[in-house]
Formats: sequence, structure tokens, C-alpha cells
Amino acid sequence: MPGPHFQPLAHPHLLAMLTRILERAEADLRGTLGTSVTVHDGRDADGPTVIASLGVGADMVGAQLSGLGGPVADALTHQIPVVALDLWTDERWPELTLDAVTGRAPARRGDWERVHGAAAVPGLWDDDATVVVSVTLAEPASAATVATLVNYEQLVAAALVTTAAETAAAFEDVLTVLQSRGAIEQAKGALMGLLGCDAEQAWTVLRRASQEFNVKLRELAVALLEHVAGAPAEQPDVAEHIAPDEPARKAAALLWSAMSTAVPQDDS
Amino acid sequence: MTKGQFRVTPAGAEATPVVVATGEIDLANLDEFEGALARAASDSSSITVDLSEVTYCDSAAVRALFAAAATAKLALVIPATGPITTVLRISGLDRIATVTVVD
Repeated sequence: MPGPHFQPLAHPHLLAMLTRILERAEADLRGTLGTSVTVHDGRDADGPTVIASLGVGADMVGAQLSGLGGPVADALTHQIPVVALDLWTDERWPELTLDAVTGRAPARRGDWERVHGAAAVPGLWDDDATVVVSVTLAEPASAATVATLVNYEQLVAAALVTTAAETAAAFEDVLTVLQSRGAIEQAKGALMGLLGCDAEQAWTVLRRASQEFNVKLRELAVALLEHVAGAPAEQPDVAEHIAPDEPARKAAALLWSAMSTAVPQDDS
Repeated sequence: MTKGQFRVTPAGAEATPVVVATGEIDLANLDEFEGALARAASDSSSITVDLSEVTYCDSAAVRALFAAAATAKLALVIPATGPITTVLRISGLDRIATVTVVD
């Protein structure tokens, strides 16, 4: 793909947002020793990079990616959620032991000795880019750990997608986003229903309107949904709620009425 | 895919509800699969999901199984070998659910 593509590390606002998302995740999960967000862009020669972490998060991912293996490494490779009840004794990663990890990061010895469970949930946020949200626990992980992490992975992916979408140079990249989610996805669905167009055309309409009215794409999407529904848009409980401002609401109303009249309506 | 891809047998007097899935589970029929899991779990605190005739399942299907296991006691029926067995082992779902292996 030509041109420079989106580099999450170049966006301090995004990194701050991801850290806040991890803080929320830690408040939601019990016995957390660390959390992290790891991205891997297939177009980069570099391997996966930790772009946000709390507690043991970065050291844990670093150890796994150094060749010891582990839930994050497997989630990246196989693109499925991975859970471990007791990380150091799990036979899937014989080299990922308390001794090996303590050897790599001795300053965290006290934390390493408390490690039990771990989980990692992957998602795509761009054509060829993967994100993994992971947690290390002082107690066994469970299906509920994964279910919670899935919610936060969606938030993290949404943050990446929307930030990438607002970066002009990277815009062509995110046109191919397969799993942009939440409000933008729903707004696209509403436009597809109204216009009878495909997803790409709906995405183009949204993007153009966002630029034309100079409002943030995600705010426009939420405002559009609220305009269509006549009620506050559904947003995940864990989300930092997007509150469209007046310009976004006005843009959404204009967009919707322009689109509605542009299309021959079935009056029956 | 045909409508019969996910069959739900409701809870009996002594038996837990069973979801029998066949073929491929991916984004195209995820809603159906999740719907079947939800129906099965609606009147029981434990469910059985028979994956022995499933030939492929993607990340979304694994997420759905984790979500099911978070709200109900999950039992899985899987083949001894094959892609589904590998996916469940890599994900660790086989440690969270009760697993029965069939030939």
C-alpha cells in the first residue's frame, strides 16, 4: 500500500486513551497484576510492539515475544482468544516459567511470584494489523476474564480505527478496515439501509460528511444513530461515552435529510 | 448454509440443553450460532455444545464459546483430532469447559 501508514505510537492522544481504557479494564477485572495493548502491523518489518501497558504488562509481553511463548504470542499468531489458568505450569508454553521470566525482569520478582492466570484477546483493526489486549492475574483466569477482555478489545480497536480514520494520510488504509465497530459500523448500517448502497459507499458518505461539516467521525456516527433512533445511541457500558456536540448533531440531521430526499422513497 | 446448521435440544428432565453444530462457523453465521447458544442457556445453568461435526470455526466463534462459558457451565463434544480440537487447545477453552472426545 503506497504512502506512510498509520503509526499508533505517533499519536500521544491515542496512547493516553489506551492507557485510560486499560485502567478501566483493571477496575473491571479481579486480581490484576498487569494489562497491555500490543499491535502488530503486517506491513512493518518490526515485530509486535507494546503500545500501552500497566503493571507487569509490558515485561510480560516482552518475555513472551522474546521466544518464551505465551498467550499473547499465540493470540497474535492464531488470531483467537487464549486463556491460561496457571501460566507458569501450562504445558502449552514449557519455556515460559517463573525462573525464565524473573531472569529477564528481576525487578518484578515479587509480582512474578504472584502470577496465576492470564488471557489475551486479539482483533483486527486495519487491513493487515492485529491488536492484542492482554491481562496477567494473581488468580486463575476464567471464561469471564476473556469475556471482559473482549469488551475492552473492541474499545481498543475502536480507538485505533477512529484515530487512524482522523489521520488524513492514513485514510486510504482504513477504508479496508474489516472490523471497525460500534457506532461507526451501526451508522454505516443505517446509511446502507437508507441508500440501498454497500458498506464502502456508506463509509465514503460518512467520511465525506465528517470532513465537510468538520466534525469528528465518531461523533457524527453517534449523532446520526441518535437522530435516526430519536434516542441516545447504544454504547457499550465500558465505553467512555461519546457525546456528540451541537455541530455533530446538526451535521447528522443535515446528512440524514439530504440522504433521505436524495433517494426515491417508497411512499406506500 | 442451511437452517439446520445449529440444532438446539431443550433441557429435558435430567439432561442439559444441547446445541449441535455442523459445518463451518464464521462471521457469516455467527448470529445464528450465538442465538442457538443463548436459546440453550435460557432455561439452564449448564449447556452442552456438540462440535464433533464442525469443520472450521473462526475467532468470533471461539469468542462466542467463551461468552457462553462465562454465563453457563459449558460442556463440549469434540473430535479426537482436527482443526476444532486444535483451536480449542490453543485457546485454552478445553481447560475451561468439560470436554468429551468422540471418534
